Amino acid sequence: MDVSAIVSAQQSKYKSTVVEKDIPLEIDVGLLTVTDPNPPDEDAYKANLEEYLTSTARDGVQSLVAALFALPTKSSPDGPLALLPKPTTALPRSKPLPKPKPPTKWEKFAAAKGIQHKVRDRKVFDEEKQEWVNRWGKDGKNRELEEQWLTEVPANAPADFDPAKESRDKRKERVAKNDKQRDQNLARAQGTSLSEKKKEIERASAMARVSTASMGKFDKKLEGESKIRGQKRKFDSNEMSTKTENQRALSIIAKLDGSKKRRTDRDGAPAEESVVNVRKAIRHASKGKGGVALGHKVGGGKPSGARASFGKKGKR
Amino acid sequence: MLRTIKPKNARSKRALQAREPKEVEDPRTCIFVRGTHTGEVLNGVMKDLMALKRPHAVSFSKKNTVRPFEDASSLEFWANKNDASMFVVGQTTKKRPDGLTFARMFDGRILDMLELGVTAYTPMSAFKTQKATPGNRPLVHFASELFDANPRLAQVKSMLLDLFGGGEASDALCLSGIEHVVSVTLGPAPHTPSTTTTIPGQPEPLPTVHLRVFTVQLLASGIRTPRVELVPHGPSLDFAIRRHTDADPEMLKHAMKRPKLAKKDVESGLGKKRKNFEVDEMGDLRGKIHMGKQDLGKLQTRKMKGLRPALDEMDVDEDGEEGPIAKRRKDDA
Repeated sequence: MDVSAIVSAQQSKYKSTVVEKDIPLEIDVGLLTVTDPNPPDEDAYKANLEEYLTSTARDGVQSLVAALFALPTKSSPDGPLALLPKPTTALPRSKPLPKPKPPTKWEKFAAAKGIQHKVRDRKVFDEEKQEWVNRWGKDGKNRELEEQWLTEVPANAPADFDPAKESRDKRKERVAKNDKQRDQNLARAQGTSLSEKKKEIERASAMARVSTASMGKFDKKLEGESKIRGQKRKFDSNEMSTKTENQRALSIIAKLDGSKKRRTDRDGAPAEESVVNVRKAIRHASKGKGGVALGHKVGGGKPSGARASFGKKGKR
Repeated sequence: MLRTIKPKNARSKRALQAREPKEVEDPRTCIFVRGTHTGEVLNGVMKDLMALKRPHAVSFSKKNTVRPFEDASSLEFWANKNDASMFVVGQTTKKRPDGLTFARMFDGRILDMLELGVTAYTPMSAFKTQKATPGNRPLVHFASELFDANPRLAQVKSMLLDLFGGGEASDALCLSGIEHVVSVTLGPAPHTPSTTTTIPGQPEPLPTVHLRVFTVQLLASGIRTPRVELVPHGPSLDFAIRRHTDADPEMLKHAMKRPKLAKKDVESGLGKKRKNFEVDEMGDLRGKIHMGKQDLGKLQTRKMKGLRPALDEMDVDEDGEEGPIAKRRKDDA
C-alpha cells in the first residue's frame, strides 16, 4: 500500500502556504498568469538548475493559486468554479474588432417608432391538420393555396384563370420584393444606392462608346446595346397665362435694368457668396478715392498691373 | 489571396460565420510546420508542444520549403486556409541548429516573429508521471526581472503567453481542475565586458530561456488555500534567443484595440448609466418605479346614490373638492 501521498500530505499540512519575496509577484488572474520580477539567485541557479527552477515556479504558482482560491466562486456539479475577472495583460488580437452591422431601413424605422423586435415562430399551427407545420420550406404553409385540390374561383374570373398560378406568382413576388429590399439595404450599407450605381455605369459606358476616332459612328454594335440618349430640348408652350408672361417679361427687364447685379458679377463672385465685399474694401482702403488712387499710392508711380486690376472699379 | 466565398448552404454559412472576427476571441490556433530539415530533437519538441497546445493545434507533418524570415507568404496563405493565427516552424540548419520560429498573425498577415534555438531538450515521455488532460488550460509562470526591461524578452513573454495562456474565452475556472503549469524562467543576464557600454550594431547577449512544465499538486494545508507542490511533467526545454521581427506599429495598434463594452455593461444598458435598472443575481433585468405621493382623498370608492352631493349643496359649494363632479352633473342635466 502506498502511503507516501498520505505522509507527504500530513507533512505538508505544516508547511507554509505563504510566499515571501522581495518584490511582490504580478498576478493576472484572468489569464492564469503570474510573473516573478525578482532577479534570479545566481548561486542557486549555478548549483542546481532544476531545483532552482522548480522552487521558483512553486513559489509563483503558490501565490497564483492563493489568488485563485480567494476569488468569488459559484457552485457547479464538478466542484466550485472561480469567477475569473478580465485579464489585465494586453495581448494582440488575432483578428480585428468586429464591425457593427449597419441597420437596415426597417431597423431604422423600428428604432424611430420604438417597435420591439419580435421573433417569428418558424412553425404555424394548421387548424385543419391539427398539427404544427412549417411556415415556409418543406410542406410550407405559404404554399397551401397553390397545392390544395379545390380552390374557389371568383365570379368575375377570366376563362383561363389558374388559381394555383395566381397564388404562386404572388408568393414569388413577395420573395422577389424581399430580395430587392435586401439588395438595397446592402447597397445602402456600402454608401451608394443601386440607381446611383446604375447611372454611373451607364454614364461611363456612354463616354467610352463615343471615345473612338469616329466618335462611335463606325463601331461594331454589340447585341442588346441601346442608343445613347442625350438631353432632350424642351420648349415652353407659346400659350401661357398672362401672369406668368408678365413675370417672365419683368425678369428680363430686371436683368437689363439693374446695374447692381451685373456689377457683382464682374467682381467675380456674387455679393452674398463672397466673404469680402471687394468694392467696400477698396473704398475703405482708398478712403473713398477709389481703386485708381489706391493703385498710385501702393505702386508709387503708375504700375500698369494695379491700374488694370483696380481701374474699372475706381471709375464708378 | 483566397477567393471570397459566398455560402451556398446553411452549413457553409455557419462555418464562415465561425471564422468571422469576434469581440472575445478564442485561443489562437497554432500550426506546427516542419521546414526542409528537422532533426529528431525538433520533431520531438514540436510533438510535445502540440500535445500541450491541443485541441488548438494543427500539425503539418510533411516537409515544407518555408523560410518565414525571408518570405512569409506561405504562412499567410495557411493562416487564411486553416483559420489559424499562430505558427511554430521547425527548421534545423548548420548555421542555426534546432530553430523554432514562432510567428503570430493579425488579420491574416504576419504580426511578429521570433526564433528560439533549442539548446537542451528532455521529452515529455522521459518523465514517467501522469500527463495533463488534453485541452486543459495550464497556469503560466514567468520569472525574471528582465521581461519588462528588454523589448526582445518582452516579446518572448508575450509570444509564449499567447501560445499557452492566450484567449480569454473562459470567465470561470474549476478550481479542482488545475492540472499543470508552464514555467518560463530566464537565466541571469550574461556578464560580458560590454554590459556597461554596449557596442552599437552588435546585439547585446540575451539570457537563456528555460521552459519547464510541471504537474500541480494541491495538498491540504489546514486552511482554504492549498499547499502547492510541483512534479515534473515534461517537456523541459532550454532556448537561445535568435532572430526576430518586430510588429509593425500601425498593425500592432490595430491588434491591441479592445472592445469598448464589457458584457456586464451591455447587460446593464449599453455602457450608458440607466437609472432604476439592475440585473439581479439570477440574470433578470429588474426595474424600479418611483411613484408620486398618493392622495387618498381622491381615491375613487364605490359610488352610491346616497353619497352624492345634493343639488342645492353644489350650488353653494362651488370651489370645493366636488366642484368638477358638480359641473358635470349640471351639464348632463
